[in-house]
Amino acid sequence: MSSNPLLSVEGLTVQFFTDRGTVTAVNEISFEIQEEEIVGLVGESGAGKSVASMSLLRLINGPGRIVEGEIRYKDRTLFALEEGPDGEPRKREDMLSDEEMRTEIRGNEIAVIFQDPMESLNPVYTVGNQLQEFIKLNRDISKKEARSEAIRMLREVGISDAAERYEKYPHEFSGGMRQRVLIAMALACKPNLIIADEPTTALDVTIEGQILDLVQDLQEKYGTSFLWVTHDMGVVADICEQVNVMYLGNIVEQAPVDDIFYNTKHLYTDALLDSMPRPDRTVERLKAIKGVMPSAIDPPEGCPFHTRCPDARQVCEQTHPDLRDVSDDANIIHRSACLKHDIFNVNYEGSLPMTDETKRQANTSAGTTSVNETGADR
Amino acid sequence: MSGDELTDLTASTPNSHGSTRPDNSELVRVDGLKKYFNVDSGLLSGLDFRFEYPPVRFERETVKAVDDVSFDIRRGETLGLVGESGCGKSTLARTVLRLLKPTEGDIYFEGENLADIGREELRSMRRNMQMIFQDPQSSLDPRMKVGRIVEEPMKAHDMLDTEGRRERAKELLNRVGLDPEHYYRYPHSFSGGQRQRINLARALSVNPDFVVCDEPVASLDVSIQAQVLNTMAELQEEFGLTYLFIAHDLSVIRHISDRVAIMYLGEIVEMGEKEEIFENPKHPYTKALLDSIPVPDPRASGAHGVLKGEVPSATNPPSGCRFRTRCPSLIAPDSFNLTEEQWEAVRAFMRAVERQTFDPLEESAIRNRFFEDVQLYGEAAAVIDEAIDLIALDSARADGVELNGSGEYSEQWKDAAEILLDAFARTSVCAAQHPAKDVEAGEDSDRFVACHLHR
Repeated sequence: MSSNPLLSVEGLTVQFFTDRGTVTAVNEISFEIQEEEIVGLVGESGAGKSVASMSLLRLINGPGRIVEGEIRYKDRTLFALEEGPDGEPRKREDMLSDEEMRTEIRGNEIAVIFQDPMESLNPVYTVGNQLQEFIKLNRDISKKEARSEAIRMLREVGISDAAERYEKYPHEFSGGMRQRVLIAMALACKPNLIIADEPTTALDVTIEGQILDLVQDLQEKYGTSFLWVTHDMGVVADICEQVNVMYLGNIVEQAPVDDIFYNTKHLYTDALLDSMPRPDRTVERLKAIKGVMPSAIDPPEGCPFHTRCPDARQVCEQTHPDLRDVSDDANIIHRSACLKHDIFNVNYEGSLPMTDETKRQANTSAGTTSVNETGADR
Repeated sequence: MSGDELTDLTASTPNSHGSTRPDNSELVRVDGLKKYFNVDSGLLSGLDFRFEYPPVRFERETVKAVDDVSFDIRRGETLGLVGESGCGKSTLARTVLRLLKPTEGDIYFEGENLADIGREELRSMRRNMQMIFQDPQSSLDPRMKVGRIVEEPMKAHDMLDTEGRRERAKELLNRVGLDPEHYYRYPHSFSGGQRQRINLARALSVNPDFVVCDEPVASLDVSIQAQVLNTMAELQEEFGLTYLFIAHDLSVIRHISDRVAIMYLGEIVEMGEKEEIFENPKHPYTKALLDSIPVPDPRASGAHGVLKGEVPSATNPPSGCRFRTRCPSLIAPDSFNLTEEQWEAVRAFMRAVERQTFDPLEESAIRNRFFEDVQLYGEAAAVIDEAIDLIALDSARADGVELNGSGEYSEQWKDAAEILLDAFARTSVCAAQHPAKDVEAGEDSDRFVACHLHR
């Protein structure tokens, strides 16, 4: 990893304070994004990937709050806390104000593309109008210039008849076209980093393919970095260079894409890959992961995955593994949070395997409604 | 009903065939099925006012959601139906179950034509045909307890007594991988995967032969999706079920299906055994679909996004082959006598102009970009020259148009597209003739491809 990442996240923790208790949606995660790199943040629903990505822009609203960690973008501090005189955490001096975040970071430096383009576009204004307004505000140019820039951007993202489409309303666009508009909007201010939150999930596979091609072309052309949030390992394999796998608020594995797939070091990643039906070969029987993800209100003790892990031992219930480099190649950093690896030195081999009975107890105590979703694996 | 039948759920099948009998007899046969919808509804919607004679006329636009589809489904198999959104796969499924009345065509279920039987008869037939929907959230009544939800179809078909129904419901909950005690809970306390299991239990309660599954796992997480798919496969074996399985996800289709049908804009364009379809696709659309899937393997060559443009409207589908407007293998019109290379260049240029995928350029730049290694002659060259003339930048247009908003220039661009399409696309055999279903010779008589390339 280079010493000068574009964005670095250190020990980020986000909690939601609800009536039913405190939910730790993101638990001490750390990762980096280099210049011109596409980084994947992958996980199932409820893993905390959207919360993690939104907190980078400090777009977390009550009852949620970033309670710990440091987020740095280039030489600026997007978020950092320090201890106040009474031991209370308070904002560190170099942390950007809300005003600075709004005017200097969001849109200009870091842009976002959301999953549902209909919700990100205003239905009562034409697409061109919104795009032009956005460019005008952020780049401080005249309306006329903004208009021609908007049309140019629309063509750039592959919208044919850009001049004509400029006058149309969002509902007159198909899902794929709307997503292109959002990409145009994100690119309009030439940001260095784009956070893409499941941008192709709602699209048909042929349209998804077009969008992925487009993103790769644009990335090559402008050198934009991406944080690509997705649940689809196919998309990850396709476009990401560096991958972070999330489970229950934790990053459990972090490695270059090839190592994630070919040298998997965490049992959750392994299980996830095994449970997927493959487009490129026929699998007779899917190896489903047992159970469901526990509730984040009352997560299991120890390793968050131990309640569903096929190789869980008793030590996994007691020790919470942090993310450590387990790479056998000095040139590659491959981090995993699995006690199986020697580096954790917790006598995994000597620990007794967990029985189904103990796991089930763990599962119910973790507050899930599913006592018995294991039926599928008989 | 005897107590024995309760414990052995499979034995109470009315027409009791064995639990799994993978014979080749057909359970469902669909023949020339059409389902059209009127676009507008309302009092004056069909009226069309104009300034010529006659001033008012009555015309209805129709969406050809399903257009002349024929296939059969064999007992005990899973037929996968794939296609992009809007291709008509859900409409087809609903029409097969006669939840929608077909505009034309026949649906035979165990030899009976569902298209022309009476209401009461249809109602009793429905016991053998059940459906599972995509959204497990909205297909379960939040005010009913799980038990009542599962019992509902049995009640509607007068199966068993109260006690028997309860016992069967609990037994079924167990079979689909839930706890029988879940009988007393409300749907909201269940996760998506569990809700889909409740749906399964409900569908199976009346012991159907045929289950139509409309995107049953599309809204589930990968790990849960695998659990549900495995359960569905087990139940199929145990209960001797026949599935019509609709999905847009080709990986899921590849996993669960025995045979696969590919649908595009209301028509089935290719159909055959699963391995055949995935390993040896013949229709350009099938090929394109398979190439678009992001493969979960970073070392795979990423050939995605091979299809340009979007699915055209079903109100006014393209003539001839419906896929021709996006087809990467459009056949050259005979009249020009183009070589393969020439045709490729012409086709690429035509599509680029049609979709305006490049910024305005000067004439030489256009030629360089599209016709660098290709020399055209005769009429084809004349058409291309005319089109290039229309869109090329000259000194008069050099300013302004790059940032394009000027109406006249964009009109000319459209004219150029029209000229090209008229000359090269609309004269192609793909536009002139509807492709016949070409049945592959050989043992596998089911394989067919509706494409002019395979004749």
